[in-house]
Amino acid sequence: MAKVRDSWGSRLGIIMAVAGSAIGLGNFLRFPAKVASNGGGAFMIPYFVSLFLLGIPLMWIEWTLGRYGGGFEHGTAPGIFHSIWQKNRFIKYFGVIGIFGPLVIFIYYTYIESWTLAYSFFSLMGKYAKLTDQAAMQSFLRGFQGLENNPYFHGLGLAYLFFLITFVLNIWVIYYGIKGGIEKLCKWAMPLLFICGFMLLLRVLTLGTPDLTKPAWNVLNGFGFLWNPDFSALKSAKVWLEAAGQIFFTLSVGIGVILTYASYLSKGDDVVLSGLTAASTNEIAEVILGGSIVIPAAFVFFGPVEIQSIARSGVFNLGFVTTPLVLNRLPLPEILGFLWFFLLFLAGITSSISLAQPAVAFLEDEFDIDRKKAVWIFAVISFILCQPAIFFLKNGVVDELDFWGGTFFLVVFATIETILFAWVFGMEKAWDEIHKGADMQVPRVYKFIIKYITPLFLFLIIGAWFWQEWLPIIFLKNVSAKNLPFIITTRIGLILVFLILAILVKLAWKRKRSIG
Amino acid sequence: MKILGWIFLIISWGALLGLTIFCFVKVFSKKELK
Repeated sequence: MAKVRDSWGSRLGIIMAVAGSAIGLGNFLRFPAKVASNGGGAFMIPYFVSLFLLGIPLMWIEWTLGRYGGGFEHGTAPGIFHSIWQKNRFIKYFGVIGIFGPLVIFIYYTYIESWTLAYSFFSLMGKYAKLTDQAAMQSFLRGFQGLENNPYFHGLGLAYLFFLITFVLNIWVIYYGIKGGIEKLCKWAMPLLFICGFMLLLRVLTLGTPDLTKPAWNVLNGFGFLWNPDFSALKSAKVWLEAAGQIFFTLSVGIGVILTYASYLSKGDDVVLSGLTAASTNEIAEVILGGSIVIPAAFVFFGPVEIQSIARSGVFNLGFVTTPLVLNRLPLPEILGFLWFFLLFLAGITSSISLAQPAVAFLEDEFDIDRKKAVWIFAVISFILCQPAIFFLKNGVVDELDFWGGTFFLVVFATIETILFAWVFGMEKAWDEIHKGADMQVPRVYKFIIKYITPLFLFLIIGAWFWQEWLPIIFLKNVSAKNLPFIITTRIGLILVFLILAILVKLAWKRKRSIG
Repeated sequence: MKILGWIFLIISWGALLGLTIFCFVKVFSKKELK
């Protein structure tokens, strides 16, 4: 009897799941920091250009490729790429990136996600309520992460407990499958995330001028800090690159999760409108909520000078140090802090479950393993792989995993997908495939954009990043002697994981050939 | 906040809200999954 693949229960379900995958910590922390340090409102010009020339085309490509591959009962990139280019026996190995990338991101992202759950709890308990300055809050975070022993924490115990809770929650959701687990979670988690976000937005909008002795430190000037345009920034290639990078990372393209999610659609299901809806939902979370909470609120309490360094202080500092300090100065800080960290937790869990799904789908589709058994295999392996990220955080292991899984291979994978779609599959065939069951027509200009502009854009990004940022990382230029053994071991581990996945692909195809 | 800041904010928010409302109205008025 032929195996029946899992499927989505409703259209809203897959839209919420893809939007949930895309909406992550970056929407609320990375975006406002990038806007503030790259020309303010003027940043939105390259941002929207990148959205329409890079983000939305890639979204449509992944939705279409995923649905196409699902028609051949392939839910991951090796099988999907092979379905597109059957004559090429090596292309399936390029598809390994579409399982490797999400797995690598999952093993550190789950740990970071667990911090947001822990901080939700700490907020409600008032555990950091008495901390009033950046240094104390930073010390609190470092103590929690096990990076230092201080009066707040002794060792990693509590962080590990919250990691276990988060990990089990993730596995529990995935265990119940696409419709019974992922879709169910996303259909309540996404509205809840938006409710938390809009409540915080409302609170920020009503901040006014809390300190009347400093009339310039008001919420309108906070928004001004973020939105007043500096047009000279547009002359900088770096600003355009930052905008393209932000669009690329915010939409969850190039990872392989949209391919997998879309593979559970039927041939006649729309991908054009659904893809655009998921992308626009992500943009609302990023530009409206992400751009209105952290930076404007921090401006009101820290003023126009200190906000400059705060905006450049990095994602973790903004999320876990500055924002709780700001919320501590308002009435009901426990509730507001909880709303903030629970919002981040919801953004995190809807992303991490999507990162787990490609590996599970690979075991199910290519080895005919029962879903529940596949989830157990994934749980055991990913749990072991998570450990270095937890215990060697201070040695740069998470940064190393993030570079390969969350940056380098994403752009490489997106480029391969685009070329396969537009040039190997062929633009005419691809155009017909996009429009199967479509509820709206894609503007014809996108035929040209997908074939020429998007790949060119991706090559430009790869080239620029390679010279400016990647080369020193690849050649370990800025790694201290103390951390070097950890980074090299991580790299060897990653190579091994990649090779094992490639061998599994080879075995899967051999197995399929032998059973005809 | 300067006038230009307001303009950028309103255009950005307006464009995204408009696009999202347009998409969801269409999603709810069209067919379900097969």
